[in-house]
Amino acid sequence: MAAMSPIFNAVESKPAARKAVLPAAAPNLAGIRPASVRLPLCFVLAGVLSLLIGVAFLLAQPDLLAMYHYTPHLIALTHLFVLGFICSIVMGAMYQLVPVTLETQLYSERLVQWQFAAHVAGFTGMVWAFWNLNPALVGAFGSLLALGIGLFVFNLARTLAKVKGWNAIKFGIGSALFWLASAVAAGLVLAASKFWSFNPFQPLAAMHAHAHLGVAGVFVMMIVTVSYKLVPMFTLSELQSERRAWWSVALLNFGLLGAFVTILLQSPLKPASALVMIGGLALYGWEIKAILRARNRGSLDWGMKYFLTAITLLVPVSIAALALSWPRLPLTPFTMQLENVYGLLALTGLVGLAILGMLYKIAPFLVWFHSYSRHIGRAKVAVLADMYSVPLQIAGYWSFLAGLAVLCAAAAFSHEQGIRWGVSLLALSLAIFAINLGKILSHFVRPKIEPFSPKKPCPAANL
Amino acid sequence: MIATPLTDELLLETLRQVIDPELGVNIVDLGLVYSVSSAAGRLRVAMTLTTPGCPMHDSIAEGVKNILLALDGVAGVEVEVVWDPPWHPSMMTEAGRAMTGVRKY
Repeated sequence: MAAMSPIFNAVESKPAARKAVLPAAAPNLAGIRPASVRLPLCFVLAGVLSLLIGVAFLLAQPDLLAMYHYTPHLIALTHLFVLGFICSIVMGAMYQLVPVTLETQLYSERLVQWQFAAHVAGFTGMVWAFWNLNPALVGAFGSLLALGIGLFVFNLARTLAKVKGWNAIKFGIGSALFWLASAVAAGLVLAASKFWSFNPFQPLAAMHAHAHLGVAGVFVMMIVTVSYKLVPMFTLSELQSERRAWWSVALLNFGLLGAFVTILLQSPLKPASALVMIGGLALYGWEIKAILRARNRGSLDWGMKYFLTAITLLVPVSIAALALSWPRLPLTPFTMQLENVYGLLALTGLVGLAILGMLYKIAPFLVWFHSYSRHIGRAKVAVLADMYSVPLQIAGYWSFLAGLAVLCAAAAFSHEQGIRWGVSLLALSLAIFAINLGKILSHFVRPKIEPFSPKKPCPAANL
Repeated sequence: MIATPLTDELLLETLRQVIDPELGVNIVDLGLVYSVSSAAGRLRVAMTLTTPGCPMHDSIAEGVKNILLALDGVAGVEVEVVWDPPWHPSMMTEAGRAMTGVRKY
């Protein structure tokens, strides 16, 4: 048979005689043994649980967002959101997706088990210690968390090292791992400075510098990097300019290095660093726009709409970053609350919504892979879009955006009742997501596998 | 029992039962199957995927192997995933384009 199968033109089918079905085995065709999905799923579940607990706390105490963020309880909740929700899901997703996107095998699955234990024990202990204002325990549990993150960075760095050559994606993932290690190290130094009462830098500036390493260095970098693989994959498009992708990652790195130093030293050069990062994000936006314009898939699914809406929030986040970095910005209760809005937009809006969007891709894939991959070609199995409700997904999208808008406006004006309304809408969105996640997980417990129906003759189209 | 001959149309219809779970469309209408050759009951399939590094790589390729092995008269199946020529939406059938919402070609 010739290439491109010209003989497959205009043929009709006949019922096929079938042999007995062979025992199912996990696929291993490319010589790459697929990683177990159980641990990535555990990370995802730990993340979703942390998010639900965090939102419940905010519903109970909306005043936390109506005051300046340098309070033990808000710092505790921020770490629950950042380490419990975002980091858990990012780690679970990376363990599963980095090997497949880089077409290699994870360096060690055994290390993942140890890291999961250290991560969960570390972040829950840290959140408890922050809430109770106990710097010694923050340091102790932070060290445990750091051990886990060290294992994560080591495992992925060794996995990256197996891939020959460099591309923008490998550069971006490597950069995010570097900034993750840096953010954890900075956090440990901060905890040690509280315990042993030393701090050569202004404490608030040091905390903001640490936060930027984590949010911009790890989460924004990760969003930028995975976009270059996943947006073309899900929209049937291609990366349009490898060079533009490289420069976007490079400028983000340069800008973040500058931002860390200038924030730490409270330097008037902060806007310059912000501008370099915004330059990197502008190149990223340009590339994403080019990828979307070249896409072959007309309509985008709602998981992609969540993700693309999230990255659109980079525009107000960048404007807020530039405004707040301005050296002559007057220090008033309103401008101090704007810092809360900046954090909410970046963490809840940009990172949170992007993660929810990607979870609509990752969670069905993980469950599908566990429940159905060995049955494909042997029986009729569910496709990813059958595993959750799209109308619920749409309702979750709009309630999330409404909640974010109300929350940001209310936080800016320290309006407690408004904050409660905003958090309630976000909670509604998360409840909707939880229902959909339950639908997805039901396929893990009870896979829907049907035998192939007897085939009816039908005309085959041209290939 | 008389074995059904391994005709092209039979192979094509059989492979149509392998669905890309992300796109929800079978691999034939997606244009992923480049060629199938047969010799003494052994089949060799050259196919591709919509993108290199596709997370479904092994599952789909194994699915092709499974479904062809279930046919009478097939003693072995070798599936080779190739990237040359790279997949392009123009390789999809009309039905495939309609199902995925591909707007060009």
